[in-house]
Amino acid sequence: MAHKGSLFSRLMWRMALLLGLGAAALITAAWFYARTAADEAYDRLLLGAAFQMSENLTVQDGVIKFDLPASAFELLGLADSDRIFYRVVTPDGKTLTGYNDLDTGVDLTAHQSQPVIGNSTYRGVDLRHVTVSRVLTQKSGVVWAHVIVAQTLESRRALAAELTTRATILVAIMCLLALAGSAIAVRYSLHPVDRLGRVLARREPQDLTPLDLDVPRELTPFVDSINRFITRLSERMTLMQRYIADSAHQIRTPLTALNAQVSLIDDEKLAPADRRHMERVRRRASELSRFTNQLLNHAMVIHRFDSVQLAPVKLNDVARKAFRAAVPMTVDPDLVVSFEASPEELMVTGDELSLREAIVNIIDNALRHGAKGRLDVKVGRDGDNGFVEVSDDGPGIPPEEWGNVVKRFYSSRSEDQVSGLGFAIAAEVALALNGRIGFREKTEERPFAIHIALPLIEGGQA
Amino acid sequence: MIRRLVTGITFSLVAALPALAIEGAREVFPAPGPQAGRLVIHGATDLETMRPLILDFQQVATGVTVEFVDYVTNDLYRQAEKACAGEAESGDILLSSAVDQLVRLANDGCAQPHRSAETLTVADWANWRDEVFGFTFEPVVFVYDKRAVPVEDVPKSHEDLADLLRLKPTVYSGRIGTYDIEASGVGYLLAFYDARHAPTAYGRLIEGLSRIDTVTRCCNSEVLGEIASGRVRLAYNVLGSYAYRAASENPDLGIVVPNDYALVLSRGAMIPKDAEHPQIGKEFMNYLLSPRGREVARQKAFFFDDGKPLPPGVEGPEALMESGVGRPIRIGPALLAAQDESQRSSFIANWKHLVSGE
Repeated sequence: MAHKGSLFSRLMWRMALLLGLGAAALITAAWFYARTAADEAYDRLLLGAAFQMSENLTVQDGVIKFDLPASAFELLGLADSDRIFYRVVTPDGKTLTGYNDLDTGVDLTAHQSQPVIGNSTYRGVDLRHVTVSRVLTQKSGVVWAHVIVAQTLESRRALAAELTTRATILVAIMCLLALAGSAIAVRYSLHPVDRLGRVLARREPQDLTPLDLDVPRELTPFVDSINRFITRLSERMTLMQRYIADSAHQIRTPLTALNAQVSLIDDEKLAPADRRHMERVRRRASELSRFTNQLLNHAMVIHRFDSVQLAPVKLNDVARKAFRAAVPMTVDPDLVVSFEASPEELMVTGDELSLREAIVNIIDNALRHGAKGRLDVKVGRDGDNGFVEVSDDGPGIPPEEWGNVVKRFYSSRSEDQVSGLGFAIAAEVALALNGRIGFREKTEERPFAIHIALPLIEGGQA
Repeated sequence: MIRRLVTGITFSLVAALPALAIEGAREVFPAPGPQAGRLVIHGATDLETMRPLILDFQQVATGVTVEFVDYVTNDLYRQAEKACAGEAESGDILLSSAVDQLVRLANDGCAQPHRSAETLTVADWANWRDEVFGFTFEPVVFVYDKRAVPVEDVPKSHEDLADLLRLKPTVYSGRIGTYDIEASGVGYLLAFYDARHAPTAYGRLIEGLSRIDTVTRCCNSEVLGEIASGRVRLAYNVLGSYAYRAASENPDLGIVVPNDYALVLSRGAMIPKDAEHPQIGKEFMNYLLSPRGREVARQKAFFFDDGKPLPPGVEGPEALMESGVGRPIRIGPALLAAQDESQRSSFIANWKHLVSGE
């Protein structure tokens, strides 16, 4: 499956793209506004100057006089880096004063009562110009004189650029804030997804209970699907286990009968070769019944954890019972067995029957494969954990096999016998009770040991 | 004296051959070191005033040969206009006391901008578009003859001067000198600004001048010469730098910076757009605006400086600029109003009508 990047980065990329487009649009708009604003601001100067100048057009003795007001230029000088061009035109089209080649393209013969503002080019530079017409009364009648004032665009451009720059900075800051805000919001919104992921990742493989998690509406279909799947799987597993348990149960009855029949056979009457075969049949049959028992026990343990409520259990009692159950009355008299209870009462949370079964399996395994002359069972305490330790003077299990022996039906290569389900049951019980199975390597001073450690109940010891 | 001669020559030249370049005295200062460049200065400023600055500049730029061509303000302007139109050779830097003409040239696109660490130090009012820079600080003063004007008559302000003319017209008749504003660009500029800054005082002053048969001369040096010779007792609107130079040679001259307002002219410098060696022109501009150049100008050329006390022997307000008495002629577009032809001709006609009675 192709990796599509995280939801977070997908969202952020789209958000950034959107904000970028928005910012570009805003900056463009700001640029237009800035130009308009700069034009409006400086057009007022231009208009003011032109009006001032047109006010100073007078008629004296029938001759048009013009007195150029310096204040008009001071006004224009507020745009301090701009060049100024002007021209005063008499009614007969002659230039009274100013730049007589200044032509803004405005038709002076069409008398304008309103000032005309526009852009033009003069001497190779771009100009903003205004033409103000003024009516004068002469003997011949009413005539129109015109004042043209033009200004270069440097100040306008500088102002527009400054305004745009400021707007750009503001927009950029806003975009960054928005992006940071979205990042936080998106992270926050994606929390339930992360939580779901963590819950799923933390789940024990055996845990087939439905997810109990508050998720936003959008995630409900996923959780529901997962839960339906888990339920189906759980049902399947239960069916499978029941099938195995039933099968084991069904096998046990004929097996018991088989064992009984085999025990009735009189070895004395058999030929030596037949006797040897008979011995093998007997051994295989007993192995088969042990497996069948283990299968049943395994199914029982799993079933119990699905259905039984856990309760405080006295570790000493459970271990003692397990010890009694596991060590048969007919044990080899040469074998020295001992049980050492803990001096304090250790309480753990668990299911007594399952726990006993786990300890029995460990002791059973030690008797069967390890112990030559000695087997010790000890209950003790290690920090917050209580433990039951089974040590024997056998060869032990090499460290590289420790991880494997807890698997079901793992066959150790060092022995021809299959270890079966013993450790697997013990390990599953330990795991279900938040504990673990541990091994201790055989050394000169200390024998090989296996222990099952379980967390103690807070303040539960006497 | 040289100046008057030059003016005469150029005027006749202009009259005879109007198409030719209007050129004044020319002096070449050979480079003290191996020559690496040439700087052509077109100046409407006394060569004697500029000499110490040019020589000191050559201490810094040892490889530069400086050619100084002296013009009267109006001629400098016409020459620069022609150069701008491509009809004449352009200088590398223009220096003129008639800053309105330089502003007009810059407005017409005849200047090239120049930005450097030195130009940043120039006061706002003395820089237009980074094209025209004011490189001097010259208050406009009254000069009087200590032998002929009693202490109680020495005017401290424009009002005092107007009162003096009103109260003692007979005593000072034919004894007051000023620029002929028609012949002198800077004279016109100063009169124009007087009229703008203090219209009432200016009106009274012109009225007074009209009654007493005022002596008008083309230039500062001539007006000062008339005082030295005893013909004129008091001169109005004289550039402080010229007055101080004359006073340091003639102890009979007294200088007053008026205490009601004093126009402050900053001589303009500009790099023409068609300058042949604009880089050297800019170097010289930087020199003029640098602390070293300003110090040389204060000690040897123009004597007054912004932020420095008035030179010894000059009467006037202590802190010229801070007190608000000093009114700098702002180098900017407002000077275009002074340059307007119709404005100029009507102003001059009006002035002549009153002062000279024509």
